[in-house]
Amino acid sequence: LKAYFKPIKRREFIKKSMTGGAVFATVPLWNLFSHSLPPPDIVSHPPIDLDKETLTKLLSVALQNRGEFAEVYVEYNISNSIGLDENKIRSASRGVDMGVGIRVLKGEKTGYAHTDDLIPEKLKETARVAGLIASGKTEMQPENLKERKNPNYYLVKTSPDSIIPQDKSKLLWKANSVLRAYDKRITQVRASFSDINKKIIIANTEGVYVTDDQTISRFTVRASAFENGKRSRGYAYKGGTLGYEHYDSLTAEELAKEAGRVAIVMLPAEDAPAGEYPIVLAKGDCGTFFHEAIGHSLEGDGARRKTTCFWDKKGEMIASKIVSLADNGTIPGKRGSINVDDEGTPSQKTVLIKNGLCTGFLYDNLNAKLMNTESTGNGRRESYQHYPIPRMTNTYLLAGKDDPEDIQRSVKNGIFIKNIGGGNVSPTTGRFVFSVPEGYLIEDGKITKPLKGIQLMGNGPDVLKNITMVGPDLEILGGGTCGKAGQGKPVSDGNPTLKVAKITIGGARIRRS
Amino acid sequence: MEYQKIAEKVVKKALNLGVDEAEAFIESNRNFYLLVRNGEVDTVKQSSTKGIGLTVYKDKKLGFSYTSDLTGDSLTEFTKRTIQLAEVADPKPWNMLPDYGKEEKQKDLDLWDPSIFEIENSQKIEIAQKVEKRALSYDKRITKSTGANFRDGQSETIIVNSKGISRSFKTTSVSYGVSVIAGEVDSMQSGRWSSSKRHFEELENIEDVAMEAGKRAVEKLGAKPVQTAKVPVVFDRYAAGSFWRGVLSAFSGDSVYKKTTFLTDSLDKPVASKLITITDNPTIPRHVGSTPFDGEGKITRENTLVADGVLKMFVYDSTTARKARVKINTMARRRGYRGTASAGTLNTIIRNGNVDPDKIIEGIKEGFYITGLRGSGTDTTTGTFSVGASGFWIKNGERAFPVDGVTLGGNTAEILKNIELMADDMDMRGSLSSPSFKVAELAVGGRR
Repeated sequence: LKAYFKPIKRREFIKKSMTGGAVFATVPLWNLFSHSLPPPDIVSHPPIDLDKETLTKLLSVALQNRGEFAEVYVEYNISNSIGLDENKIRSASRGVDMGVGIRVLKGEKTGYAHTDDLIPEKLKETARVAGLIASGKTEMQPENLKERKNPNYYLVKTSPDSIIPQDKSKLLWKANSVLRAYDKRITQVRASFSDINKKIIIANTEGVYVTDDQTISRFTVRASAFENGKRSRGYAYKGGTLGYEHYDSLTAEELAKEAGRVAIVMLPAEDAPAGEYPIVLAKGDCGTFFHEAIGHSLEGDGARRKTTCFWDKKGEMIASKIVSLADNGTIPGKRGSINVDDEGTPSQKTVLIKNGLCTGFLYDNLNAKLMNTESTGNGRRESYQHYPIPRMTNTYLLAGKDDPEDIQRSVKNGIFIKNIGGGNVSPTTGRFVFSVPEGYLIEDGKITKPLKGIQLMGNGPDVLKNITMVGPDLEILGGGTCGKAGQGKPVSDGNPTLKVAKITIGGARIRRS
Repeated sequence: MEYQKIAEKVVKKALNLGVDEAEAFIESNRNFYLLVRNGEVDTVKQSSTKGIGLTVYKDKKLGFSYTSDLTGDSLTEFTKRTIQLAEVADPKPWNMLPDYGKEEKQKDLDLWDPSIFEIENSQKIEIAQKVEKRALSYDKRITKSTGANFRDGQSETIIVNSKGISRSFKTTSVSYGVSVIAGEVDSMQSGRWSSSKRHFEELENIEDVAMEAGKRAVEKLGAKPVQTAKVPVVFDRYAAGSFWRGVLSAFSGDSVYKKTTFLTDSLDKPVASKLITITDNPTIPRHVGSTPFDGEGKITRENTLVADGVLKMFVYDSTTARKARVKINTMARRRGYRGTASAGTLNTIIRNGNVDPDKIIEGIKEGFYITGLRGSGTDTTTGTFSVGASGFWIKNGERAFPVDGVTLGGNTAEILKNIELMADDMDMRGSLSSPSFKVAELAVGGRR
């Protein structure tokens, strides 16, 4: 628990006290976490003293109706964001979310109730309601709560929540001035900094007691350009489970230049052709493709319910031999990295596809138990308002051996995809569609002109078989918020340079050939 | 009216601490969710949430924050921090509360049905079980269920500000639905359908919901891509929704101000076929898309965006309207207490045409009938339209075979002008309703 008890630097203390008028006091609940000062709201009004004894009592109430398993999830979350638009700091905002979610399991059944009224009577009532799902004969007692320590995969020295908004605004101004000076065709600049600071406690009837202090930060710069009646956009960001020490004026400059580069490059872009083409995916920022088109079909809930296209494919070849895919929550500082999942299971690396062979699925506790296997540390939830389901963390295609230049040269007439934007997939059919913010035509192995309106379409299983070359240059640069069953969760992804021999491109320019 | 008092107190507190204007928005919800899978109760979820969002204006600077902690002392701290946030922001001339002018009285839109509180849990389970069983038996080719659900909820929305506005309304909601899978391993297709209403008695019957879910799964079986072609296409009334959402994003008044929409200079000009009239009407009694006041507390009314193909109005909330120096609209959307209001349509209606939906494909030799769209489609800046689609191929005026894995490509501005038939089959289900319609020609991309 070393990470939680880092001594507070005096300078930070002063800064913090100035922003919130905080009073330094020990608070029963949140001093468990305090690597920086407790949030000011909490200092003046601790919501409730949820110590181990209280948690055990709630677990007992939840089991009263003869459930098999009960769990209490406590969350206190502060989100900050500040944005610049049209040469102005548009506004700074802050949000506090706190609440308790209580889950009871009986066989395949789930009872869940949550409340943000943290008075003891309401908590007890919430535990009771969650327990109503169960009925039966077995009587269980909660085991004694034992605190488990976890390794730390977050790169956080200075909590972004401890930085006053004035300081964050300086980064935005820097990005704004660099980008406006970058090219006179840049017409609009937007920049934002946001951070989420979440503190959780998980306690369950199997004796698990885990706390985690999660920080996610993100610095985004967007550019719009205009010339000769044509408009384009560019976008760049840096983010992850990163402390504020990872952002400075140089970061602002780099992001501004990258956003500007994309907007200017894409200005003369022509409508993409439509039809079947070979594509080359650039390293780093095309991992969304594997997250969406493959990863979702390898989640354990779909496997158990036999509703995904891969449910019965474990041990079978589902991809070409050069394809290996992993999910790994333990890579330091990435957006999807977690010390523990939202059920208290330590994070791990799970190989999903090894040399083309389907080797496993991503599991939470419930689905793992029903499939007679172990959780892979992928039981995640958006907040106390949701029960956990299998979710990815950082998902990436493993490095191969083909020379990235050879990969590009091998394409006579195809598309080069620099990065992949939003997308969605049906886990039932594996069918997906993605937009491509930056893509180019490849003619005779050379990148020629930028293309707009590219949509990649197809289905996951087909694409896996059509991957014919994979480079050694794996990078994990992607990052965003994945939505599943109404729950958003931060994830990251990545890939080496690779070639997909054929895929359907949807573009505005559809022609017979 | 406990929450209304809290909101009034917070506004007063902010004014006492020196802000020029303040607005408090409180939303509280109670929800119930039940999932049945293979006849057994799988999940029961009950929730209660509430929270306050506070917007303050000081010297034309805006600060916003929210919290779910409504206890007395913490609200003082919360108010102070919100004011500190305003101090970081830059002043903008349009940062102020809306002008309310002369407004109609708040209408009772009959959005509250206390009878949903009398539904026993056993009855909810029974509804879910029945709809699942019926959907599974729709066709031999239906292989499994991914679940049937029942939901109900109640919500209270309160808005109080320093211009003397103190308004609230309550809604109930109730819905149920089912999702089934047809086919075996390598050719599974899913189909889902649901019914969602404000009043329990208005829910569609179980038979219809189950049949529609089953039909949607089975009819897609064996779907395949087609050869790339330019053909007439028909957008089914439900698939039409996501097309119109893309179109509506180009109506954003703020994008017009920033010149980042392809409709920028189109006010009072024809932008669509004469058959097209688009209105935003959140005042329809009992409708799920209705609300008596918008996200800024302004009394809602019907607005016409497009009349017989001519663009009549962009979508503004008070901030973007002030910025663009146009007359205030009543289209401020708000997604709960966690954010400020922003411009957006509330309940959009694409006017019904007069063609029998069964006759809309008559006379099409080769064409595409779209039942599903994937992806957002319209790039609001350029008007480029590119989206994944599924549906049926039309041959000689009849449905020939199911199609999936194709793309549609074109330009939104052209598609709007090329709409040549509007059906009379609009079904008001959500916050956007459209009849089916036919476009003279669109590029369908598949195999080369």
